[in-house]
Amino acid sequence: MNTIQVNNLHFSYTPGSSVLNGIDLELDQQTTAIVGQNGAGKSTFVKLLKGLLYPTKGEILFKGKNTRDYTAASLAKDIGLVFQNPNDQIFKNNVISEVMFGPLNIGQDDQEARHNAISALKKVQLDDKLDTNPYDLSLSERKMISIASILAMNTNIVIFDEPTMGQDFAGKEKLKEIIWDLRDQGKLIICILHDMDFAAEVFERTIVFNQGNVLADGPSREVFKQKNILQQAHLEQPSITQIANELGLDGNYLTDEELIQALKEKMTS
Amino acid sequence: MSIIQVEGLKYKYPDTDQLALDDISFEVKQGEFIGLIGRNTAGKSTLCFALSGLVPHFFNGGYGGKVFVNGLEVRQHEVGDIAAHVGLVFENPFSQMTASKYTVFEEIAFGLENMGVERNEMITRMDESLDLLDITSIKDKHPFDLSGGQMQRVAIASVIAMKPKILILDEPTSQLDPQGSEEVFKVVENLTKEGITIIMAEHKIDKLAEYADKVALIDHGKLIDFDTPAKVFSRDDLPDYGITAPTATRIGKALGIKDSKTDLFPVTIKAISREIGDKL
Amino acid sequence: MSTMTLYVDKKSFIHHVAPLTKLLYVMVSIAITYIIPKLEFVLFVTLTSLLILAIGKVFRKILPILALSILLIISIIIVQGFFHPENQTVLYSIGFITFYKEGLTFAALLTLRVLNMIMSFGILILTTKHDELVEDLIKKGMSPKIGYVLLSVLQLIPQMRATMGKITDAQRSRGMETEGNLLVRVKAFFPLIVPVVLNSLHNTRERAIALEVRGFNTKMKKTFLNLSKEYQYTKTIQSILWAILIVTIAWRILS
Repeated sequence: MNTIQVNNLHFSYTPGSSVLNGIDLELDQQTTAIVGQNGAGKSTFVKLLKGLLYPTKGEILFKGKNTRDYTAASLAKDIGLVFQNPNDQIFKNNVISEVMFGPLNIGQDDQEARHNAISALKKVQLDDKLDTNPYDLSLSERKMISIASILAMNTNIVIFDEPTMGQDFAGKEKLKEIIWDLRDQGKLIICILHDMDFAAEVFERTIVFNQGNVLADGPSREVFKQKNILQQAHLEQPSITQIANELGLDGNYLTDEELIQALKEKMTS
Repeated sequence: MSIIQVEGLKYKYPDTDQLALDDISFEVKQGEFIGLIGRNTAGKSTLCFALSGLVPHFFNGGYGGKVFVNGLEVRQHEVGDIAAHVGLVFENPFSQMTASKYTVFEEIAFGLENMGVERNEMITRMDESLDLLDITSIKDKHPFDLSGGQMQRVAIASVIAMKPKILILDEPTSQLDPQGSEEVFKVVENLTKEGITIIMAEHKIDKLAEYADKVALIDHGKLIDFDTPAKVFSRDDLPDYGITAPTATRIGKALGIKDSKTDLFPVTIKAISREIGDKL
Repeated sequence: MSTMTLYVDKKSFIHHVAPLTKLLYVMVSIAITYIIPKLEFVLFVTLTSLLILAIGKVFRKILPILALSILLIISIIIVQGFFHPENQTVLYSIGFITFYKEGLTFAALLTLRVLNMIMSFGILILTTKHDELVEDLIKKGMSPKIGYVLLSVLQLIPQMRATMGKITDAQRSRGMETEGNLLVRVKAFFPLIVPVVLNSLHNTRERAIALEVRGFNTKMKKTFLNLSKEYQYTKTIQSILWAILIVTIAWRILS
């Protein structure tokens, strides 16, 4: 099972100024969005999950073992993390070797790595650019390369740090497909997001971070209903939810289809 | 009299074959807020550069047609001179800080010092911009000690202090959290009240629909449409240009509900809620 | 920490000396140690610089830099002590190693000059606000572009360190080990250094655009937000420094 258990997690970069103060969570099979203001501790939290940082207090258990006992590199087989800025990782002069870097590091042989890299590039629709220099592509295409380079490692847990940043409509659609595809393969997806519409539409569970604490946690449907809590975390409700609120509809709506369906029924009755 | 006039603008980056801007013509009146939409690589940034003179002066390459900003033909003037008329703000707040100043106040002074603005006038203008952007409380902080949203507002203040008639923003909110984005949109709307003309490239369609007077849709370097948000977002072929309509328009279309004022599909949450509310 | 500055904010007489006067001190004190190559004289100049550092309350800050230069100094002593071409007078021998008086004197002279150079620059850098110094130089005719480079380097180094941290995290996430034996570290070199270089090129280009649209390249005469500060004794101190320089040159020519 891909379960991550977080117990009383505290973290601070410098003593006295705490970034996370006592987080208890169990992350399991659902697609999970983490939302919150900049500085709320979201990125720090996923770095702790990935073993790039170690807790100041408390513990993170993955498959029952403490992440403190691993290096980030040795956790790479199990947990993949896609960073915000693709320029922070791309160093090869063609797309295919960039994507094969991770798989080779975690012990896949050349053939297997190539196979996984190509199938990951297919998912981000860049499999026609294998020999292109990544820096000849646009920033949003490089972002897709950095996503592929993690997908190719075939980890059971995939974490994304703000994947929608700078993506246009088509890019977001592609991401949606990728996330749903990973879910269908039974993987645990955790995603930091600033885009509430995307979070509402794509993720089953949403966790709201605020000043190093978990302010709300539950099915996205429940979480996005709580306008006051979201305001407290300096967030907005998804657009669909806002319209439903304006109209004073009961229940909570997250997608176009749900709202349209409900309104059609209301208008005919 | 239009403050921006673009006539048959064509441009191609050095060492490329494809036109980045292909025969673009449009006019903008003073004080208008224009939203620039289109998929990544459609040519939005290039158009922003062309309006601020970086195309062709900084990027070189092949250039045709004419661009007038506040009466100046861009091609005939240097970027530094155009800067007094056109301000440019872009995506990354961090790389817009000069990295040579120790306080926000000094950071904002940078452009004014370069333009040789007399000191008393400089301070008056800086106080005005600090006030307009609501950042007076952070004026003594180091620019790199700010949040992304604050840094982006400092970037806008630095440009506004130079008193441009036109402000161009190229995806100014894409690296900001929801609150930071909202801050930027509010501030920019404030500027239109001061008579400043705004051109803003954005992916946040719902927000643009709420704030923009007109929308320019660009694809493959061509201007596909340039009209009110209601008209542009009512188009059925938006997906062909990598665009989705605002939430309100999508719902309006699905239910066949139009805005009673314009007889077009609603574009804002307020409008759609009002129209549906009337029918329930 | 998002910025790095070597300036130490303290109250002392030295902090209240005009930046350009301190710059003149640096030049004069270095020049005279070459004009009069006498050990006693150079020692006197070096001690003066040391005294000024102490008055400026920044003596402790210079120690780490002096410590770094020890290696250089030791190598000077060894090379000159053994191999100076004028070596004649044996001072003492340890086994087969022989030190000569001429070589050691020359080594001492070089060492003192190096120490004086470090300390006099220390006076300038540690007790002067960098932006004030650079603005004063621009007013004296230095190119604003050079001024910009001088000021921005100090601010960008910590930023590059932060970028380096992000890149390390990104590559470790892809299973790259960064700690361990030499081979591991050598293998980690390219995955770390290539993004650092490309990132800073990218940022530099973006920043160039930002500077451009804020009129960095206009030919207009610059103005300054910060007023030139009034300093006391500027004329007196500068006159004394020029006088010292002239006297030493005269002494050198006449003797």
